Amino acid sequence: MVRKNRGYITLFLLPTVALFIIVYAVSLVILFSTSFTEWSAGRSPVFIGLANYIKLFTDDADFRQSALNTGIWVVLQSTVHVAIGTLFAVILSMKEFYWKFARTVYMFPNIISGAAVGMLFLCMLNPEFGAVNSIVRLFGNADYSQNWFMDYATAFLSVTMTWLPYAAVVTILILAEIAAIPESLFESARIDGASNFKINLYIIIPMLRNIIGTCVILSGTSMLQKMDIILMTTGGGPGNQTMNLPIYIYKTALMDNNFGYSNSVGVFLIGFGLIFVLLCRNLFRIGSSQN
Amino acid sequence: MQKSLYKAGCTLAGMLMLTMSITACGSGNSAENNGAAATAGSGNAAAPAAKAPVKISYLTFRVGTHASAKMEEEQIKQFNAKYGNEVEVVVEEIPSDAAYVDKIKILAASGDVPDVVMGKDGINDVLIKGNLATPFNDYLDKDAEWKAAIGEDALASNTRDGKIWSISDQKQNIGYFYNKEMFDKAGIKPAETWDEFMSNNEKLKAAGFVPLALMTGENAWTSNLILAAMIGTNGENGKTFMNTLHPTDFNTPEMIQALNMMKELLEKYTTKDALGAGYANAANAFSQGKAAMIANGPWMIGDFSDPTKSSEGFDAKVGVAAYPNNSLISTYEVGYMIGAKTPETRDAAEKFIKFKTGLEGQTLALEYGNVMPVSSEVQPSDALKEKYPIMVESITVAQKTQLHYRTLDSIVYPNVTDAWKNLYPKLAAGRATAEEIAKELTEIAAKNK
Repeated sequence: MVRKNRGYITLFLLPTVALFIIVYAVSLVILFSTSFTEWSAGRSPVFIGLANYIKLFTDDADFRQSALNTGIWVVLQSTVHVAIGTLFAVILSMKEFYWKFARTVYMFPNIISGAAVGMLFLCMLNPEFGAVNSIVRLFGNADYSQNWFMDYATAFLSVTMTWLPYAAVVTILILAEIAAIPESLFESARIDGASNFKINLYIIIPMLRNIIGTCVILSGTSMLQKMDIILMTTGGGPGNQTMNLPIYIYKTALMDNNFGYSNSVGVFLIGFGLIFVLLCRNLFRIGSSQN
Repeated sequence: MQKSLYKAGCTLAGMLMLTMSITACGSGNSAENNGAAATAGSGNAAAPAAKAPVKISYLTFRVGTHASAKMEEEQIKQFNAKYGNEVEVVVEEIPSDAAYVDKIKILAASGDVPDVVMGKDGINDVLIKGNLATPFNDYLDKDAEWKAAIGEDALASNTRDGKIWSISDQKQNIGYFYNKEMFDKAGIKPAETWDEFMSNNEKLKAAGFVPLALMTGENAWTSNLILAAMIGTNGENGKTFMNTLHPTDFNTPEMIQALNMMKELLEKYTTKDALGAGYANAANAFSQGKAAMIANGPWMIGDFSDPTKSSEGFDAKVGVAAYPNNSLISTYEVGYMIGAKTPETRDAAEKFIKFKTGLEGQTLALEYGNVMPVSSEVQPSDALKEKYPIMVESITVAQKTQLHYRTLDSIVYPNVTDAWKNLYPKLAAGRATAEEIAKELTEIAAKNK
């Protein structure tokens, strides 16, 4: 049967494979090969061996800070963010009277574009007219002013708070998984006298291992692409306090006009992402049976 | 047999569709850059009337709420009315200056730039180095009238190794605007020295006003104009620095002194949101009467009587002044470049640029965008003078100044322009001294490729 359909299988796979080759594989090959070159816009790449990588790891403070920030954000997003989303899903799964309303409201930040979210926070945290400072002024010091995005003490946290708590995608994925758990399991547990807390802790959460692993990968890797909100709010500053690898790639390519070096950072970012995904797959044994 | 024929047919059809889609993707512009940087003017100078108009591509960021959007729209409209049967300008709108610069640089990396390009923020360097632009020498040699309309100084500012790479469409004479009412209440007049400027700030603050509308986000435009003035007026070395293209050493006493003064301004004499603020925040602070001064060019004049931006009668409160030491920022815009690849499109691009930068285009720019022309032949109309008296004042101030220098944006590498947004907060927070910032600027300039 399989042999009979082999022609069709090949035929229908062909467009996808061709598109993958054109869009991704070719780009990856170009990215990797030009990372060993000196290449700027309008000029031909010149092979320089490992020079870009040597500079990257030995003599580039901005790269180190960007990699560190990216790493911190990946860890925060794959732990705190996923934990918030999971907790919210477990609460919503109890289907109290508010659950549909809460689920919809929690989704709002995820359906607004990143640039709009950035603009929203930029206004809310504006030191002159922002809502946050105005509220603080209402309850205390009338002269209170905090430049949340540009003060070294608050910049990193302020940027982080523009995405960390909004885990609606995680919540929805986990809610769907909880809905798939057979009701009989809960009934048995209740007959045995288990409380809701114990059901959540010993039945639901262990059975969510696969989906939590998937959420960790999705959330963590989303931080490897995060750029719009940072560009809108801090631009990587003050100094390089909130710079991450995508912003650094943007700056080296389009501001320094150094595409070769920028691509070496790109290769590092892809490698970083692959290692993270592999680690998560092994840690959560994604794809294997719950038992 | 029938089945295998059907299978073969399907496979063939699939392959054909795939091939066609791939071919279509790559057929956008197959013309080779056949010696684009070679001498221009070799194409058909006058196309036959019956011939279809030559299509040229043009990307513009002067759209939407941009200060020059109206000017751009009018120039294109009038060009189409005059030359629409010869040249068809295919306009693509880009939402911001920064997005425009990014897009052109990415296109340049693939060797495929639009037919007409604005060479701002380092785009000219990329196109020249990449052999992607055509110099104007031959075109200008054939058209003395156009050459005269641009003027020697404007042409010289865009000439490298004898080749004129772009045509400037405007002269930027930039001082600062001040709120006369606030100045009167503080008992001050526009400063003639930097000591007086700092003392004015203190007096304005004492009178309960925020002295300066500064901003460090985006390209730190309003802050950098003042920084440029501080450097440019600091002796012969400062003046030379501010008139040097692509300075590589920022470790100069003039730069360090200016940075120290700027630190003081950011700490004591500006709005609370200046660190990280964009141009809109600073412009709003001045137009809404929340700050006493803003450094900016005459294109802002229209905002003072625009009810959506300023309160009623605000334009009557605004005065314009030169910087201390009777000085002014005076620079020619980089202007337009030819990125076209074939003789036919090169000629069409030249025609479009000639219209935009000739006397007619300069007049439109002045009337619709308050943009200062490069030619002294173009003067504001009586209607414009009546509508914007401050425009006349601005021209008078410019004529009286004796010391001129350029903007930082027009002399430094693009990566230096981009760095200010990160460096100013560092300086203001005391995380780096002026000397350290100067050193960093030098290192950043060295990174430019």
